[in-house]
Amino acid sequence: MKLTIDRKAVTAKKDETVLQCALRHDISIPHLCTHSHLSPFGACRLCVVEIEDMPGYPTSCTTPAAEAMVVRTDTAALQNLRRNILALMMLEHPSACLICGRRDLCEEYRPVAEKAGRTTGCHTCNNKNVCEVRTLAEELGFCDLPIPPSYHHRPVDRSNPFIDRDLNLCILCGRCVRICKHQHGTATIDFVDRSSKTHISQAFDRSLLDAGCRFCGSCVDVCPTGTLADRYAKWYPKPDTITKSTCIFCEQACALKLEANKGELVTARAVNEDIPICVLGRFAIPEFLNSTDRLRMPYVRVGKVLRETQWKEALKTTAAKLKEFIGDGFMLVCDTTSTLEDRFVFKKFTRKVMKSKNYIEIEPNYRGISLSSLPKGTKAVLLTGKFVPSSQLNGLELLIVQDCFGTNVSQRADVVLPAAIFAEVNGTILDGSGQKRPLHKACDPPGQAKAEWWIISKLAQAMGAKGFAYRSAGAISKELGISKAKLWVKRDQAPEAAQDLERRRTFFRGHRICEKVFALRELPIRDSSVPSRAVSKRTDGFQILEKYEIAPNVHEIVIQAPNVAKKAQPGQFVIVMVDEKSERVPFTLCDWDAEKGTITLIVLEVGQSSRKLVLLEAGDRIDHMVGPLGIPLEIKQYGTVVLTGGCYGIGAILRIAAALREAGNHVIVIVEGRSHYKHYYKEKLETVCDELIQTTIDGSLGIRGHAVDVVGQKLKDGEKIDCVVAVGCLFMMMLTTRETKPYGVKTLVALNPIMLDGTGMCGACRVTVDKEMKFACVDGPFFDAHLVDWDELRDRRVAYSAEEIHLVGRTESVAPYPGHGDNCRCLR
Amino acid sequence: MPEQAPEDRARNFEEVPYGYSEETAILEASRCLKCKKPRCVAGCPVNIDIPGFIALVQEGKFLEAARKVKEQNALPAVCGRVCPQEDQCEKLCVLGVKDEPVAVGRLERFVADYERNSGNIKLPQIPPKTGKKVACVGGGPAGLTVAGDLIKLGHEVTVFEALQEPGGVLTYGIPEFRLPKATVKAEVSYLKKLGVNFIMDFVVGRNSTVRELMDEEDFDAVFIGSGAGLPSFMRIPGENLVGVYSANEYLTRSNLMKAYLFPKYDTPPIRRERVAVIGGGNVAMDSARTALRLGADVTIVYRRAREQMPARAEEIHHAEEEGVKLKLLNNPVRIIGDGHHHVVAMQCIRMELGEPDDSGRRRPVRIEGSEFTMELDTVIVAIGNKPNPLIPQTMPELEITDWGTVVVDENTMQTSIAGVYAGGDIVSGAATVILAMGQGRIAARSIHEYLTGENFPKV
Repeated sequence: MKLTIDRKAVTAKKDETVLQCALRHDISIPHLCTHSHLSPFGACRLCVVEIEDMPGYPTSCTTPAAEAMVVRTDTAALQNLRRNILALMMLEHPSACLICGRRDLCEEYRPVAEKAGRTTGCHTCNNKNVCEVRTLAEELGFCDLPIPPSYHHRPVDRSNPFIDRDLNLCILCGRCVRICKHQHGTATIDFVDRSSKTHISQAFDRSLLDAGCRFCGSCVDVCPTGTLADRYAKWYPKPDTITKSTCIFCEQACALKLEANKGELVTARAVNEDIPICVLGRFAIPEFLNSTDRLRMPYVRVGKVLRETQWKEALKTTAAKLKEFIGDGFMLVCDTTSTLEDRFVFKKFTRKVMKSKNYIEIEPNYRGISLSSLPKGTKAVLLTGKFVPSSQLNGLELLIVQDCFGTNVSQRADVVLPAAIFAEVNGTILDGSGQKRPLHKACDPPGQAKAEWWIISKLAQAMGAKGFAYRSAGAISKELGISKAKLWVKRDQAPEAAQDLERRRTFFRGHRICEKVFALRELPIRDSSVPSRAVSKRTDGFQILEKYEIAPNVHEIVIQAPNVAKKAQPGQFVIVMVDEKSERVPFTLCDWDAEKGTITLIVLEVGQSSRKLVLLEAGDRIDHMVGPLGIPLEIKQYGTVVLTGGCYGIGAILRIAAALREAGNHVIVIVEGRSHYKHYYKEKLETVCDELIQTTIDGSLGIRGHAVDVVGQKLKDGEKIDCVVAVGCLFMMMLTTRETKPYGVKTLVALNPIMLDGTGMCGACRVTVDKEMKFACVDGPFFDAHLVDWDELRDRRVAYSAEEIHLVGRTESVAPYPGHGDNCRCLR
Repeated sequence: MPEQAPEDRARNFEEVPYGYSEETAILEASRCLKCKKPRCVAGCPVNIDIPGFIALVQEGKFLEAARKVKEQNALPAVCGRVCPQEDQCEKLCVLGVKDEPVAVGRLERFVADYERNSGNIKLPQIPPKTGKKVACVGGGPAGLTVAGDLIKLGHEVTVFEALQEPGGVLTYGIPEFRLPKATVKAEVSYLKKLGVNFIMDFVVGRNSTVRELMDEEDFDAVFIGSGAGLPSFMRIPGENLVGVYSANEYLTRSNLMKAYLFPKYDTPPIRRERVAVIGGGNVAMDSARTALRLGADVTIVYRRAREQMPARAEEIHHAEEEGVKLKLLNNPVRIIGDGHHHVVAMQCIRMELGEPDDSGRRRPVRIEGSEFTMELDTVIVAIGNKPNPLIPQTMPELEITDWGTVVVDENTMQTSIAGVYAGGDIVSGAATVILAMGQGRIAARSIHEYLTGENFPKV
């Protein structure tokens, strides 16, 4: 079939749609609900085109290409139409960042991995690096929202294992519903309710688990917004490498696409997007490999203790010990999760070097421990996993464990060697049907862990054996005569574990997988020996009296803390430790009542500590809180004072404004939010200032722009401003500083660096102000903004963001935001 | 005393010396000559009846021995571990003239541990309440000593602590491998059993001033033991880079916040590869040995020579044994960062010893042109602290020195204000645990006399 698209003559294949044909010929047509692995749907209507002799604007995804068709994809009318369609779509998606003029600067100024528990803009969205909506908005030159957007205020559903669902980001493209139906035959999720209440859910609002979800993660993979998120991977920065390899959790050997960031595995997905993989393949691999329990160093027993050592030393010692056990008294036990190359070296080592016939290769099974006992006469054993109960090892004279995790078996070993496994190695494995499948190294092993063939080859060499000078797994494959193995991409049926959760593997080399991947405990085949999360009810500490989410991801928390309330003054902060294992983290005091003995904090969930805090309910207790700390803002007659606040700062300036006004100042409060729904405390603020100005990036409330734009305009207009006080995120405060500097207006900012004790003992909160070292906790928090070294402050604030991923990324489900019942006061 | 082999302990946080067995303890105790005029007691800042308790150990009466020590020392398990006995009791031991002195410190530790492990902790008889209230500001060694002494005299004692756990430097500063936190907890719980009231998360100077404690909360006397404050830095370029830590921060993360157990605890540890520790005191040794245990290659950079290092010889020995390298007569000039404010190197200059300075130590002098650069990713600055400024700031009438320390009468530890006493690092700048305890003891005596008009009873 020949047709014309944008004056270009093209040929369409049989059954091809106009969209498919155009894309194949590198003619781009904006589209969203379409997905290469799904049948046409025609929901989003972004792919509209003009076709001669056809009325209106047909959607190219549902229009079959036909002979002699003349298609136009890029007329001004079409682009306008698409912009309007996108705008309508964006009315139900937090979209202010898409039209923000300062987005580039904002993102440059924020830590790369900054994410939030609840996304209210691109800057904290887990999807920002791969967002199709954003790409579309950029392509279409989308820069305005014609009518104010709405926010549904739906609670983020975090009650399911592995998948977070924030329906406030959903644009109802239906890809998740369709992929579920496409891959599993029946859809676990579907559209629920009608018209403006339409949303994605399970029948009867059951949990995903109860509705029969297999956690193949395909819905997460196709979601073009950040609505569905992989709870572990979402906290990582953008992956920098993608490697295809094979899953070795079971003999199904699914082909995987492994994404890593700086050598650390982030996500695993199916290569074949038509066939789902099981929950282990999709969600468990990164957390399993990145576990802090991995063996990182070789250990050698000296007397009663296992002593950490270097490879050279470990190999020398092991070789010397093994020499005493040459013969059938030696046994090597491995399983088929070691590569063919590894096993070849194991076998060669056992036969040739150790001169033993006891090379035992076992099939992985569901129960973990595979050998109930060792053959009689065994004196020395090398194990590559926890295959034997530790009670059976009593009679041994030498035990060498080459494993990925420490266990009660390795605790008894004479030598422990850390092994690289799975996505950390190259090699070949056999799948269930006897086909060879390749493993490609996708991430770095932890610490000094090495590939298993390397360890045993080196050991053989240390024992003086010839024929083990392998330089790579490839060299061994060559010796073995393995021709290039192929990934099992084109399978016609999903592996059984992807169809039935209960058929997944529970052990890897004798290690219970759910001990490393917490959320697996929530799936069927619960193991009673694994303790469930302990819930403690404390009676001491600081009780939370009230807690409301007053705007999306803005939590107002009222806490009983009479000692703090008694002395609090405007601008001071408290250090909070939610439980005995938490960090000590500063939060600005928003409000307090000395008589009632209560304080109010405004908390945004952006990391581990704030998450712990916002997941508490009214009635719960915080272990430790100390304050008020810091020097209060000097309350005096300045003249006209402009207070700017954003995010938590909107609340934090409440008492500052009140005090300044009381002192006789003319107080102008300017508060900013990305959209109207991010604003709060309007009534409260109105009572404490002479003028209240609200700004939004999308113009849905008050003045369009940032607070700093209003300040700038006032200064440009020659309005007299004697002092500016800015409280908010680092970016907002820095922007304000830039704006007021040329006018020489006194500007104070409340700095919030990382703190530890908060009383001037540790010096963690150092900031450079006027080239001098200051401690924010005792010299601050307020500093002359024009003298602050902002770049240094930014870099110091994110010093631990990589470590934090290990905390927030742990994939245990948490209860959904509490308190959103019928009588709930939140979000009204 | 048997201890963990250096190669093992350099990678774990367990205590280094294993402690005496009963047999060894009796054997060691039997070496004591029981001098008529025991010089050792004079060397002890808290005047423990050393021959008395050692005699009891020799007889195998360990519990009684522990109680004997506790008459004078509220924290024997702590002091047995961290006191510089070689400069105090053991220095004066007659046996030490020709041979090794009696290991007083180890015996003290032994009896204290013995009592705790036996679970048979006997509380002393507490006299009737005097009705007087005393506030201890800060739950460190000085404050705990004052609390322990005064509660036993029938006063009502409240300890105000800013952090989440009492113990002060014993908790946040001295590492687990030198002073197990369980030991500190046990000592504190003993004080609690005696009736001392502990209020955590309370910062005197913020939640309440000293004046308010006396006027509004009806405390009859206040002891200020607020300890070290702002860490000192070298005032060289690059000290605010990511990767430069005060020893206080580094140790607090590890000890108080248990960062070495991350991710079981939320506070991230500072796990880096090449660490330089600046300074030559005990805190520098603690920081270096902590860094070592977190897997780093550690070098101590000190501007004077080994002889001038203020750290205990045993600590330096332990550190070197474990693999800490010493770079003596070297002084940092500047710390160099990459484009993202992360430390990548430090420039140092070599020094030589010149004329003696005010401290009597030979002054280090720069060798011009001898600058060199060390590549590293972490710098820990352990060159001391200034006293905590919070209380002087909020109590203008309190007389302080130019250094910010509180001025006291050395004989009574009374400050310029009646009823207000002080001791520990807030008075002496930066000193040892036992000195703080010694000052606490003097203060306790004076407070008792101030409150009752009676002399401090000889126990």
